[in-house]
Amino acid sequence: MKTILQAENLAKIYRVGSVDVHALRGVSLEAAEGDFVAIMGPSGCGKSTLLHLLGGLLTPSSGRILVDGEDLAAASDAERTDIRRRKIGFVFQRFNLFPTLTAEGNLRLAERIHARSNGGDDPARRREVLRLLRLEDKMHHKPLELSGGEQQRVALARAIVTRPAIILADEPTGNLDSENSQIVLSMLRELNERFGQTIVMITHNPEAAAVSRRIVHMRDGQITKSDR
Amino acid sequence: MDSIVVANIRQRPIRALVSMIGVALGVSLVLLFTGLARGMSNDVERRSANVRAEIMFTRPGSQELISSMANLSTKYVEQLQQIEGVEAAVPMILYVFQSGRGFGIERVEGVDWAPFAEMNQMRIVAGRPPEAVDEVVIDQTKARNSKTTVGGMLQVFGKQPYRVVGIYAPESGARVKMSLAAMQDALEVTGKCTYILVRCRNTDEQVEVAQRIDRQLPGNRIQFTRDVMTNIERSIPYLGVFLRVLTGLAAVVSALVVMLAMYTTITERTSEIGILKALGASRRYIIVEIEKEALLISVIGCTLGFIVAICAGSLIHRTYGLMFEYGWAWAITAALIGTLGGALGALYPAVRAANLDPVTALSYE
Repeated sequence: MKTILQAENLAKIYRVGSVDVHALRGVSLEAAEGDFVAIMGPSGCGKSTLLHLLGGLLTPSSGRILVDGEDLAAASDAERTDIRRRKIGFVFQRFNLFPTLTAEGNLRLAERIHARSNGGDDPARRREVLRLLRLEDKMHHKPLELSGGEQQRVALARAIVTRPAIILADEPTGNLDSENSQIVLSMLRELNERFGQTIVMITHNPEAAAVSRRIVHMRDGQITKSDR
Repeated sequence: MDSIVVANIRQRPIRALVSMIGVALGVSLVLLFTGLARGMSNDVERRSANVRAEIMFTRPGSQELISSMANLSTKYVEQLQQIEGVEAAVPMILYVFQSGRGFGIERVEGVDWAPFAEMNQMRIVAGRPPEAVDEVVIDQTKARNSKTTVGGMLQVFGKQPYRVVGIYAPESGARVKMSLAAMQDALEVTGKCTYILVRCRNTDEQVEVAQRIDRQLPGNRIQFTRDVMTNIERSIPYLGVFLRVLTGLAAVVSALVVMLAMYTTITERTSEIGILKALGASRRYIIVEIEKEALLISVIGCTLGFIVAICAGSLIHRTYGLMFEYGWAWAITAALIGTLGGALGALYPAVRAANLDPVTALSYE
């Protein structure tokens, strides 16, 4: 399998006042096409920082990040944004949907940004994705009219509608009850199997991590163990 | 229309409305002030154009924009008529006073109707000329605006009632005229007038006639009626500057209102901007989206401003008789001020939003 995501010796240091905080200390990670990696670890271990670095939302203090061969660490802000637009989909713990737009509107917005203009309108694809996530009857609902599980499914739909190579999920079940968590996790697994998209998911929950193909453990800004 | 732009405006209707009102305020102020200046100026010009006399003979300082006095002896009429080239000389009193409604000024003229009408080719279209001391004639515009017909009453000096005995045309000078004797009686200036209108035998010789008058009756003021408009504009020397300053202020008001609204909006929408960035939206995309919203608000505000200006102008005209004439040039200027002011005002918040750190924005509560 081709390596789609590669982090080499990543370090991230935050300056808080006059103190340097080492969030990541030489993290290296690889994910192949179609891989499903769960990153586990206690709060403050650097999971979210790693995910933000992999998505180009942050720049590392040192190290290299290759996304499908493109070096995020060496890219400018505009170039990182462009790589993110073309290759990465995000799913957040707090769903982060646009409250003013309907479920379909949120998907259309992602399509529009992906297409860089007013084009990119693909109603058939939107319907397919919403059907896959069992949201056909919620297309015209705004986020506040949906349950937490439904909102996270819309967020998932938004992440995959533009067919990104990599999906980065930040505690996708963190705000859900166990029933909805199971639904979202099984859907993540189904999407991974059906579309072959690489998924990197961070979680506290061992049950959530169990749906992945590989679990990476972190502590104090370092990877301590990797299980298959 | 872009759905996120419309959805954002719908989501915050009060703030959007306040922003639109801010833009509308600037636009309507520009339209009303320029419309009023143009309307009043054109009105005076139209009425001045119907004065057939070529020369106004008066005392220095007897007639200003918002005041006049009767300090010229009517004995000059005979002397003027004896000067070579003068066909007729008609004395007039111009009385300028503050409108009874406390806004604007009104003018009344005292004339001997028969020679005045003959000189200026005017006619009574209804009723008869004024004779008694409590009678006036009015022009058709005054009749229409004040809904007064022959036989109706009009308050001219304070609350003193005058009977309207006739309606004349075409409009010329003050819209209300009474007999010279009645005006002299009312102002207690027997034998005096404000100015004397002089009609030349040959219009082409008005300059020579004016020189003769100046030589024979020195120390008085001789003014050509064709210069009246120029003199009115000279009476308000900074009108153009005032209008330009007003236009600039309107632009600043529009820009500030939109900037404030968009700045607040951006602060509230910080996490949404973080989402846009996570989705891969470029800085340009974010700036364009915010500018689109500001432009939509500004365009609606401009439309609102145009409607307000037209309605307010019409209401002020009906209530106070002030004339408004809107020109395309100022309308386009006002529209540009509203839209460009709004767009410029939104630029800073838009750039600020585009420069937000995505992780900080996403974690914004």
